[in-house]
Amino acid sequence: MTTAASVALPSQGSADHAQTDPGAALLRLLTDRSADLPQVDPGHVAAAALRGRNAGSDFAELRGLAVEAAASMIAEDPQYSKLAARLLALEISDEAIGQGAVNFSASIVVGHTEGLIGATTAAFVAKHADTLDELIDQRGDDRFEYFGLRTVQSRYLLRHPITRKVIETPQHFLLRVACGLAVGDTAESVREVAELYALMSALSYLPSSPTLFNSGTKHPQMSSCYLLDSPLDNLDSIYSRYAQIARLSKHAGGIGLSYSRIRSRGSLIRGTNGKSNGIVPFLRTLDSSVAAVNQGGRRKGAACVYLETWHADIEEFLELRDNTGEEARRTHNLNLAHWIPDEFMRRVNANADWSLFSPADTPELVDLWGADFDAAYLAAEAAGKAVRTIPAQTLYSRMMRTLAQTGNGWMTFKDASNRAANQTAVPGRTVHSSNLCTEILEVTDDSETAVCNLGSVNLGAHVSSDATADDLLNAMDWDRLDSTVRTAVTFLDRVVDINFYPTPEAGASNSRWRPVGLGVMGLQDVFFQLRLDFDSAEAKQLSTLIAERIMLVAYERSNELAEQLGRHEAYAETRAARGQLHIDHFDTAPQWTGRWEALRARIAETGLRNSLLLAIAPTATIASIAGVYECIEPQVSNLFKRETLSGEFLQVNPYLVRELKELGVWDAQTRDALREANGSVQDLNWLPAEVRSLYRTAWELPQRALIDLAAARQPYIDQSQSLNLFMAAPTIGKLSSMYAYAWKVGLKTTYYLRSRPATRIAQAASGAARPVVSVPSPTLSPEEEAALACSLENPESCEACQ
Amino acid sequence: MSTTPETPGREKMLLDPGFELTLRPMRYPSFYDRYRDAIKNTWTVEEVDLHSDVADLAKLSEGERHMIGRLVAFFATGDSIVSNNVVLSLYKHINSPEARLYLSRQLFEEAVHVQFYLTLLDTYLPDPDDRAAAFDAVESIPSIHQKAQFCFKYMNAVDHIDSLQTQDDRRAFLLNLICFAACVEGLFFYGAFAYVYWFRSRGLLHGLATGTNWVFRDESMHMDFAFSVVDTVRQEEPELFDDQMAKQVTEMLEEAVEAELQFAQDLCGEGLPGMNTASMREYLQAVADQRLARLGMPIRYGSTNPFGFMELQNVQELTNFFERRVSAYQVAVEGSVSFDDDF
Repeated sequence: MTTAASVALPSQGSADHAQTDPGAALLRLLTDRSADLPQVDPGHVAAAALRGRNAGSDFAELRGLAVEAAASMIAEDPQYSKLAARLLALEISDEAIGQGAVNFSASIVVGHTEGLIGATTAAFVAKHADTLDELIDQRGDDRFEYFGLRTVQSRYLLRHPITRKVIETPQHFLLRVACGLAVGDTAESVREVAELYALMSALSYLPSSPTLFNSGTKHPQMSSCYLLDSPLDNLDSIYSRYAQIARLSKHAGGIGLSYSRIRSRGSLIRGTNGKSNGIVPFLRTLDSSVAAVNQGGRRKGAACVYLETWHADIEEFLELRDNTGEEARRTHNLNLAHWIPDEFMRRVNANADWSLFSPADTPELVDLWGADFDAAYLAAEAAGKAVRTIPAQTLYSRMMRTLAQTGNGWMTFKDASNRAANQTAVPGRTVHSSNLCTEILEVTDDSETAVCNLGSVNLGAHVSSDATADDLLNAMDWDRLDSTVRTAVTFLDRVVDINFYPTPEAGASNSRWRPVGLGVMGLQDVFFQLRLDFDSAEAKQLSTLIAERIMLVAYERSNELAEQLGRHEAYAETRAARGQLHIDHFDTAPQWTGRWEALRARIAETGLRNSLLLAIAPTATIASIAGVYECIEPQVSNLFKRETLSGEFLQVNPYLVRELKELGVWDAQTRDALREANGSVQDLNWLPAEVRSLYRTAWELPQRALIDLAAARQPYIDQSQSLNLFMAAPTIGKLSSMYAYAWKVGLKTTYYLRSRPATRIAQAASGAARPVVSVPSPTLSPEEEAALACSLENPESCEACQ
Repeated sequence: MSTTPETPGREKMLLDPGFELTLRPMRYPSFYDRYRDAIKNTWTVEEVDLHSDVADLAKLSEGERHMIGRLVAFFATGDSIVSNNVVLSLYKHINSPEARLYLSRQLFEEAVHVQFYLTLLDTYLPDPDDRAAAFDAVESIPSIHQKAQFCFKYMNAVDHIDSLQTQDDRRAFLLNLICFAACVEGLFFYGAFAYVYWFRSRGLLHGLATGTNWVFRDESMHMDFAFSVVDTVRQEEPELFDDQMAKQVTEMLEEAVEAELQFAQDLCGEGLPGMNTASMREYLQAVADQRLARLGMPIRYGSTNPFGFMELQNVQELTNFFERRVSAYQVAVEGSVSFDDDF
């Protein structure tokens, strides 16, 4: 360990000078803040910080450089992440105090004065100022890892409109979010707020980003997802949909939109006796519109267009994201998804032909699913309405190619999505698409835009203290999980009432159905903690148990809320009202049968507050705040860089490091090898086989296992899951087998196909012939205050990122 | 003076003069593989979204804006110079049709780079006079002029050679090849990339960084191709790689490092937090060592790369699609529909 004496401090060494020397002050601070971090070498950090200084650097700037220096050493030892986070927390706190946010209530006063905080929240906080100030957990910030805190700082904390300085600390921010969801202003209200704040401060649960951004503010737009039905097949409807999308995008961002009702290219237009150009030119306009909405803001909106597989423009749809060909027929800003009827997959399997139609000729197909769809489709074929017919496998193969080339063209299944949907009990009610991230499945029509509010439980924070892989039934702290889920559902339900709705269609739908989407993050963390291989039978069993428990408790809670506040307006139109719960559509054996039966009886009596309760969203941003792996995903690498608007972050798998330290092999050789292998441990043959097996990455796991886990939990997810699949070198054969399997096991939706670049960038100044570099010590300098991106102060650019 | 290479009975070699046409049997299949790999990484300028850059530019300090101005000026002409050398020297003298396939592809990529930086320049510099001045940088800005002169020197050295008849011709050509791989693409560009990634590591200029990412990937492959040509020649004609060659290459890299440092001095001025001439010197020296090591020559500096954000370039990306395009997709996919492949 380097001692203070060996640090290259500036040469003027008089004792007096040291008093005012920012370098010496920095070293003192670093030593103090790393006292309980034995692997951290404060001198090493100080030296690196001093190297980056320039002539005029003062203490604050040096501390900033030290944050970056410490962050750069995380790949060496994860404890540097803690040190970097602590230094950053100081920086944030100093900045907030400088803006007058000396405590929580003061922070709210500043925010209110500057026009950011809403009046209700300001009044609530003013009334309970002392109690709320007391609630702040002084040790809360110490739970963040560096990346999480950086994300919070750069994107979530409220900033002064002129000075651009933060006016709240991370704990103020979380309490502000909780206060924004308060109902009433009694002592009971404060108690509830305290409950939610405690969950968030512990990083046990986090609501979606829109809620984190906007709760308590003047424009509390807190929903993540909006789903719109296809415009009707006429010009007025098409253009009014653009306007709707623009408004939603301005306030929210995440749009799922069907386009299946619009006639295909070559269809007759009676009004002018001309021929239609099909959907592509309209999507091109949508593409520009989506990009234009945040003009002046920092980010574009984001939308995903869904098209049914029988639509005669399907082949042109498949080319929309190609980077070659006619630009006028390309939409680089739109995401694309297929809304696939079972009949198509059956014909692919049978190597049969597939007929393509123009919706002008077959308008009925869009609103039908299951047997009704099959019958109508066959009838349309028999009536000779097909625009043309192609081998089903030819089209399927092109779909696979597009997935491999662009990652886009997500495979989502119309019949599976409708069959088990709680909202489709009444004929004519149809789920027409999923959303931007393929986890929301809600009915839409011309007058109803579906909305969903999301939040995710951090599973990694709910593992029992004495958990073992041998006793999966006791692996999780179920009581604590129950309590987390109950609080989460309570507050997700509240968002429905407090939320700001950008369009009347969205407000209309949400008050009738009150759908919410409770999801999870950190499943991989659970597996690492219990040392379960991602593709093991035990992992599948535990993952299914967790899903069951969360669904059970979420429904219990929704039922209680129905008792207290009333069932949701459209309850009579649901399958639940007919005694049919989501799990009844699946052949599955629940663990907690007694509780299910009791719940069923109570629902029969008092109904449900929410038509839908569960959805597994990608959790990209909130998982990085909580410092866990994303939603239900396996780790992508043991060592990877995440690029976001906040700059670049290097992450190293802390579970692996801990294990390798115990084995005594966390040394320069291992670190170098891990780096050379791009975060894979498969070729590190000095590690035990079971370690290499446990720490396989998404690229190294059989994808069948990911699909099997998803299928096993499907009965307990009443909406769907953002399921990414990974294939380093995709071929049509592998992809077609994989997606046919996903359909066969009954998945409702899949999300991105992730593949790897065909060639890699040469190592900059390291690599095989590296002459001197001994350990990887990347330095980061993310001073991302400029990256406001999606944050309160510019809600128009806020997106649905979870 | 050496004898002419066309000694009867001797195997054909990569640098033998001529325009070989035979692709079957293929003598250098690895060049052909590189050509095919490169096609899988096709990207177009239209995919790069520059809209957030304009907002970022307004936030930069004066020093940072100066840095960006110089960078754009360098990029604007750098790739064109490389293109010229591909045509005037490499394509002419590397006598393998599979290598020429790769070079054709490289030429296309250089054109895309030129287009990217032209688009960037038009976006960053709304004023037509500023744009003209940027293209004049080769003449008017001393630190860029010097780098251009360095390139021209090694281009001129082979200018008079129509075919590689003598050992001296071959040496001159190898120096030209190594100059463009190790010094121009492998050092000047790597220097410029460092500034771009420094901005990005601070959350700035993502459009520039995205395009540069793809340029970087391409340039890495170009350099790698050139080095594999060098490897092949070394195998076929080891006598060319004597001490004198090592000395010349080392001196060339020294000169390149100095030229790039002049540029750094111009860009960094007094220094900016996390980026200054001293760190840049370390970085360039470490890169130069890396190039020498790749060429099997003794390293010159023993320096360490101080820029973690450059090392991060190598680490796997997991881009959040809300924020960026995912640049990791493959263009060429093969096979046919099946239901029982492993996955």
